[in-house]
Amino acid sequence: MKLLRGKRAVAAVLAAVLATGGTTGCSAPGAGDKSSDDSGPIKLALADAQSGQLSSLGAWELKGAKLAVSEWNAKGGINGRQITLDVFDTQGDPTIGTNLARKIASEGYLAMIGTAESAVTIAMAPILKQEGIPNITSGQSTGLVAVKSEFLFLNGPTSTTYDETLAKHVVDGQGIKQIAMITNNGSYGKGEHDAFLKALTARGVTPVADQVVTTDQKDFSAALTTIRQKNPKLIFLGAEEVESGLIVKQARDLGITAPFAGAAPQGTPVFLDTAGAKNAEGTIVSSPYLSNDISEASKSFATAYKAAYNEEAELHGAKAYDGTQIVLTALKSSNVASGKDLAEAIRGTKYEGLLGSFAYDETGVGIRATSIGVIRGGKLAAAAG
Amino acid sequence: MQVTLQTIIGGISLGAVYALVALGFSLVYRTMGLVNFAHGNVVTVGAYLASTFYLSTKLPFALAMMVAIAVTGVIGLVIERVLRPLENKDFDLMLIGTIGFGIVLDALIIMIWGATGRAVPSPVAGAPIELFGLRIRTYDLVVLAIAALATVLLVLFLSRTKRGAAMQAVAMDHEAATAVGIHVGRSNAIAFMVGAGLAALAGGLVGPLLYVSPTLGGALGIKGFAAAILGGFGSIPGAVVGGLAIGVLDSFAAGHFQGYSELVTFLVFTAIIMIRPTGVFGERTVNRA
Repeated sequence: MKLLRGKRAVAAVLAAVLATGGTTGCSAPGAGDKSSDDSGPIKLALADAQSGQLSSLGAWELKGAKLAVSEWNAKGGINGRQITLDVFDTQGDPTIGTNLARKIASEGYLAMIGTAESAVTIAMAPILKQEGIPNITSGQSTGLVAVKSEFLFLNGPTSTTYDETLAKHVVDGQGIKQIAMITNNGSYGKGEHDAFLKALTARGVTPVADQVVTTDQKDFSAALTTIRQKNPKLIFLGAEEVESGLIVKQARDLGITAPFAGAAPQGTPVFLDTAGAKNAEGTIVSSPYLSNDISEASKSFATAYKAAYNEEAELHGAKAYDGTQIVLTALKSSNVASGKDLAEAIRGTKYEGLLGSFAYDETGVGIRATSIGVIRGGKLAAAAG
Repeated sequence: MQVTLQTIIGGISLGAVYALVALGFSLVYRTMGLVNFAHGNVVTVGAYLASTFYLSTKLPFALAMMVAIAVTGVIGLVIERVLRPLENKDFDLMLIGTIGFGIVLDALIIMIWGATGRAVPSPVAGAPIELFGLRIRTYDLVVLAIAALATVLLVLFLSRTKRGAAMQAVAMDHEAATAVGIHVGRSNAIAFMVGAGLAALAGGLVGPLLYVSPTLGGALGIKGFAAAILGGFGSIPGAVVGGLAIGVLDSFAAGHFQGYSELVTFLVFTAIIMIRPTGVFGERTVNRA
């Protein structure tokens, strides 16, 4: 009992110390940080789901980021210092994410790569802002911009860009007006739902069906039968890779022949595998990285990726690679700064990446365009016209 | 009308899988009075083993399933053997022990197969059957047939064989059973083995319907557990009825309440349990704690 009381006292003191540490961090982020000493390796953290249903995203992110770091290390690092990339498993869970944000702050990491989930990144952002740790995320929710943190950067476009480009292609370009929507109620699905609906409304189009499913639903008969009765010409899909795949597979089993359309998840191998290549045929995808053959840079990235991991590169790896390159470029140009100085260096970085030309504004968005692709014969290729 | 019928069809095939999971929960519970919290993880192991033998070793699907069932049966035996010293001594520790095994299995799955999942193509080729505008997947029929067969075999085993009768006796009164010369430990081992086999059957069958990933068993385990409670924990017909009911209820809730379906499913479940605390078949044979 006595021991317990002693432990409690220690915990109280510890909490007080942490709290003071927190406020100091808030008033002068990064200033005189212990991490900015210029000996030893430069420490970067990667926080992503390495387990759980979203772990495929985390695995791709890690591969892309690792590739960028190993390229810089092979060239001798930054100012003669090697770069280390340590992995933190968020399990795709915002609560675990916030704990990890504190851990990353206390262990002197200069910047964080990840996460791939908007909800987790939004949960971590206030702590990273308070501690002055720049964070470059693969999330695409407009909620990331709404956080208004000068330490938060996106390595790709937001949902608004994805869905505006998509709506422009299908409604303005192909004249399709009979569109059904099926989205999930998670933060990604909700973001997609709102962004696409907004793009449709702006064009005077009302979706013939607007079905919402839960993130761990397994049977979609009810929603899909309702959609089938409306006889849409196109079905917009706002859900993560696996769930999207299941929806498409079940839709084809129910006799729905209309093509699907969606953003980044619908261009991934996991989506294709889950749905089956035949079922996914004709899916329209809005993505900033359609294939490995779009440019010289993407070709050499894909070759290096294949050599390192013996698998084909895809969007998420490319995004993380771009994001990590930007952080490393900013570290070099700022002479390994930390905190606010590093954040400003990232904002000032103009970078020609795999996804396009990055130029950050005050919202933390650096790229504002996607392209349209179509899945043909089990492969995503640029759409004609 | 068409939506309603199609929804029932969609719910029944997943319901059959929930029923198999519930059967495993109930079998162990009626024999030992223990809730096996590792059951969901055993489902995942079964799904991975079946898909590995089917996809990598290129065994026929039925054979891959049998190998998976055999291997998970052995895992069931191991769990029971490790927990045996606690039998009738410390019930809470046994419960925690099954939770521990669940965590160990989870970690092993990620170590062996990685954190990312895999899609399993349907082993039954052919387009869905079209009937009065309704579409029924051929694979769903296979799942239903196998689940029905497994239930019949289990009931026959429990009622017609000596070993099965011995397990029933242990379930009713384990001290009296010991007095007449029944090996309680062996009975428990068989319950765990058959329970794990049923889990593998459920996991293997659901693979081509869903996506095999480390989290697969978690979702199925919770629904299967709810199904067992709904039918009457420990009851064999209850597990089947409960499984199908949860499957159909889930599909209906999804159709009517969309994003709130999960909430509605469990609210209805809670209401039923409040009215009938012992479930539909209200057996609850064992209370050994």
